[in-house]
Amino acid sequence: MYQTSQLADANIKKPDPNLDIQPELNQYLLAVASDQDKAAFAKLFAFFAPKIKAFGLKQFRQEALAMDLVQETMSLVWRKAQLYSPEKGKASTWIFTIMRNYSFDMLRKIQHNKEDNLSDDLWPLYEEAEPESDHDDDHLMRAQLIQGLETLPPKQKEVVEAIYLKEMTHQELAEHLKVPLGTIKSRLRLGLEKLKEQMEQHND
Amino acid sequence: MIKHHPESTMIQAFTAGELPASLSIAVSIHLELCPHCKAIAAKMTQALADEEFNEELELSSNDDFSAMMANITAEPVIPQPEPKNVASEIEVEEKTYTLPRALSRFADSKWSGLGNIQRARLPLEEGEVHASLLQIGEDSAIPHHTHKGYELTLLLDGYFEDESGRYEKGDFIILNGEHQHSPYTAEGCLCYTVSNAPLHFTSGVSKLLNPIGRFLY
Repeated sequence: MYQTSQLADANIKKPDPNLDIQPELNQYLLAVASDQDKAAFAKLFAFFAPKIKAFGLKQFRQEALAMDLVQETMSLVWRKAQLYSPEKGKASTWIFTIMRNYSFDMLRKIQHNKEDNLSDDLWPLYEEAEPESDHDDDHLMRAQLIQGLETLPPKQKEVVEAIYLKEMTHQELAEHLKVPLGTIKSRLRLGLEKLKEQMEQHND
Repeated sequence: MIKHHPESTMIQAFTAGELPASLSIAVSIHLELCPHCKAIAAKMTQALADEEFNEELELSSNDDFSAMMANITAEPVIPQPEPKNVASEIEVEEKTYTLPRALSRFADSKWSGLGNIQRARLPLEEGEVHASLLQIGEDSAIPHHTHKGYELTLLLDGYFEDESGRYEKGDFIILNGEHQHSPYTAEGCLCYTVSNAPLHFTSGVSKLLNPIGRFLY
């Protein structure tokens, strides 16, 4: 019963037609990587080449240069497909990275006459990891909190630390500090309000 | 802990490949050291890719794509070894540093010194925008100065302090003409800097130092 209704919910959300094709694109790229599968490459080519050309025209405003970008990007996809790893992201993000990198190097050549091909040092192809944002946000949040704690008046700091970092109960702490339970609660409330204000300022 | 991060507009421009090389290097170094900003950049890259590849575009018969494709798939595929980050080390004034990936190719830069400061300029050829590695010796201060243009400092090793606080490895600090500061380092530090105008010394005798300002630029 529960599962059926979940499925129904999932169906209401109509996915973007392009998101639908993503798993397929990943499979094609993996087939190119493992078997140099030309049919799979043809599928990737048909999907990406016109879009890369459009991107190239925006960047360089020249047909020939846009075609260079298509040629080089797709050639790198063919030769470096083994570096792609689906756990680290979608095929289209990986191919975008290759295109962006090559385009950056081309622009540098055109604008500054420098052929130093810096891009692979700036954006390594093999580690454009998918974000693990929740974890990182938590980490940052915790670091901000610990910093914020230092600015609280000592009595509020003591309470917030004991409850949240040492995970004591309100009762335990009241007994430990020999103060009424109500005092613990009001110190905690004042401390948390101050912290919250600080976090909001920090995140503006 | 890193306290100074590039603004999200700058990370966005970096992921789109729109920043000059000198600033791209700084953002890239920061991302290597800051998992928080790295996750933001990864998200932005994915969004850019989705946007760029979202349009419905079909192969046009005018484009000779089939010959291109045939040529590409005729290329032999050489097995790609997992690329390894070869740590590149530099030695400046008897101190050894490991350079971040974005700077690894500049390990052989030529250093020149003035007093307690060693500088290696990066050959990026971006006109008035200069990028350098600076090593400041221990117990050194750079006198009060402002910046005619902007000055970006990415701290690579050690720490320094100025009127606004203490900076640590990975901090990404942008200052412009509105800021006046005199950084001091107790134990010495190594920085990557980008600026588009010489430093301008502001107080008393240190105005005599304006040649140093040009050296640091």
